[in-house]
Amino acid sequence: MEVFRYTTNAWGQSVLEGMSWDLLGVFFAAGCAFIVAHALYMWFFSPEK
Amino acid sequence: MNDLDDERAQRGAGDHVVRHFLIDRLFHWLTAISVFILLFTAFLPILGVKFSWVTPHWVSGLVLAGLIFCHIVRSSFWQDLRSMWFGLTDIKETMATLGWLFRLKSGALGRTGKYSPAQKLMHHGVSLFVLITIATGLLMMVKIDTPLWDRDPYWLSDESWGTVYVLHGAAALFIMSVVMIHIYFSLRPEKRMYLRSMLLGWLSRAEYVNQHDPERWRN
Repeated sequence: MEVFRYTTNAWGQSVLEGMSWDLLGVFFAAGCAFIVAHALYMWFFSPEK
Repeated sequence: MNDLDDERAQRGAGDHVVRHFLIDRLFHWLTAISVFILLFTAFLPILGVKFSWVTPHWVSGLVLAGLIFCHIVRSSFWQDLRSMWFGLTDIKETMATLGWLFRLKSGALGRTGKYSPAQKLMHHGVSLFVLITIATGLLMMVKIDTPLWDRDPYWLSDESWGTVYVLHGAAALFIMSVVMIHIYFSLRPEKRMYLRSMLLGWLSRAEYVNQHDPERWRN
């Protein structure tokens, strides 16, 4: 998986174009993973307040 | 319920404490709408949903920038910035909360000021990423035609534009994850009073006394 996107400019040089959009799924999955992990932890192991 | 809780509940009976004034709630929800428009107009085309996204994206970005500017002015001159300050006490409270959460420490958690350390960290994280997207987004507007100016794609070098795009994209990705987590916490049963306070403005006196230290509560 790429972290950055590159393009070729008018002189044939490779230049940075931005973040790789492969990361969109990674960040979405990371958000979901945190939510599920927290919800499960709080459901099963949360201490009483 | 122990004696202290009972006494706190009685003190709070039938009374409300204002947590967010109407202007602050309006700011929050208008910001939320503009962030959602920005996220959807940014990411839906990448996912294959094709539509004319550029104009709603930059217009929403300008609205967001204006809202953030108004918020900075209001919080600097009409509100107490110390309510959001993350200091040594917050670090200690964070450690205590983590210790309680992972059962490393027993006993009740202390009461926080108006905002808990977690709420402050959420605010500061979102602030950082939003300010990065606004600064880079304003720069990127040089490359589009607007009613006020014609595009100039050569304003920066290719390498510099690449850096601007990386910062804009990375901050937008972090915002997406943080917004997901923010919504999740707002819907959790023990935090729902804060969602209500962002809708209606108030906490009950019992919620206020149980969760917050009036001595440290700053508006």
